[in-house]
Amino acid sequence: MRYGGEGRTRLLLIILIVTALFLITLDLRGVAVLDGARQGTQTILSPFQKAGNFILTPVKNFVTDITHLGRTRNQIEKLRADNAKLKADLLNRRNADAQLKQLESILDLAGTAGYKVVNTRVISQGSSQSFSQTVTIDSGSNAGIKKNMTVLSQSGIAGVVKEVYPRSALVMLASDPAFKIGIRIAGTQQIGILTGQGTRSGSLQLLDNLTSVKVGDVLLARGSVANRPFVPGVPVGYVTAVDNSAGEIAQSGTVRYYTNFGGLGVLAVVVAASSSNPGDALVPPKPVPTPIPTVTVYVTPSPSPTK
Amino acid sequence: MLTRQLSLSAPIFLFIFLFQEAVVNQFKLPGGGFSLFVIFALVWAVISTPEIAALTGFGAGILMDMSQSAGGPVGQWTLIMIIICYGVSYLGYGDGNINGNPIGVVFFVVIANLLTGLLFLASSALLGVTTGGFAQILLTLLGNSLWTLVITPIVLPVFSFMHNFVFETRTVL
Repeated sequence: MRYGGEGRTRLLLIILIVTALFLITLDLRGVAVLDGARQGTQTILSPFQKAGNFILTPVKNFVTDITHLGRTRNQIEKLRADNAKLKADLLNRRNADAQLKQLESILDLAGTAGYKVVNTRVISQGSSQSFSQTVTIDSGSNAGIKKNMTVLSQSGIAGVVKEVYPRSALVMLASDPAFKIGIRIAGTQQIGILTGQGTRSGSLQLLDNLTSVKVGDVLLARGSVANRPFVPGVPVGYVTAVDNSAGEIAQSGTVRYYTNFGGLGVLAVVVAASSSNPGDALVPPKPVPTPIPTVTVYVTPSPSPTK
Repeated sequence: MLTRQLSLSAPIFLFIFLFQEAVVNQFKLPGGGFSLFVIFALVWAVISTPEIAALTGFGAGILMDMSQSAGGPVGQWTLIMIIICYGVSYLGYGDGNINGNPIGVVFFVVIANLLTGLLFLASSALLGVTTGGFAQILLTLLGNSLWTLVITPIVLPVFSFMHNFVFETRTVL
């Protein structure tokens, strides 16, 4: 049996829908009250998110291990042998070590380019319900972070500061579909635009139809006016596929980001760039192939018996 | 009566919202994960009258719009949740096979969750909010639906108990 639909309910429904449309209109017109409400909510939520992150870190590590069961089977077997306290200690230690390693790499990257950075920890992953790729970091305007600042991971660009609150900030990851960055190719200096696709791969579009790109080319951030949102020279990723379709105005391709967006623990926000452009100084070294050991066997024929 | 119901419902909704933001969002689950808060709001709407469901959608939508991970303008989630919550309640109201049967509720919640995603995509297209490529959207919608199908039967007894406590109804799923 369906609901009869009394007049009062219909009136209430209309009022609520009109209110929602009213809110959308106000927000699209940039009314500050709504921004303030969101900022206030985030200020209230931030301590809870930090507490949740602190408490759940061992659980998250456990879930990560389960997710990567095939790759960490030996490690899990070893952990099973330990008692509960040792397990917790080990997981906490591993987390701290991983964050330290990330931090060292970030500081190396920032130090080479002469960036002034604020180091932060990721305290929350954004909800995928909105089809966006964001993380919340535990530093905000109190630490000098402003909107549209470049965010670095240990390997290169991680994203850009989208919203800033006093003690936290929302970072739009480079994998977000709305993320766009002007890039240049290290060495050849060709320029193009890289767009996020929701995964670790991005879509590259070159701007000049006379230039070409090849697999393995390294992409660096081209930089923005006054270094915001992007400081120049930050490693972005490398080309994994090139589309040479006839009819394309300029060449396009697929890029794999250096940053692993699934394992972000520590990030750095660039609050001031160096006075000079670092150029190609931040291009990551190419991996050195591990030499395969070869074994040479010399066989000396035994002297044939003489009759 | 309504004052009592609202004063009891509000802290429950705030707690679930806080739990979603502080705990559930910490996990990067495969397939985009799930929103416990959306599941809660939809369950609440399915087993309520259309009038309460519309108010539920409004309250839940406002909270979702206040989340820092809400992609669109304030009011977008409010509008979506009002429509979806009212819709599922209207269609199921008075039908014991739907709102009195746990399987019916789970089915309705999963479908409503999928419609919520689709409505978000449609409204995002109208409002100019970027939502990503087709494959990624498909994966997220499918992942969310599967997670909702898994999570809803687990949390349904708890949510139903809360609803019963607030509205003093006799049926507990």
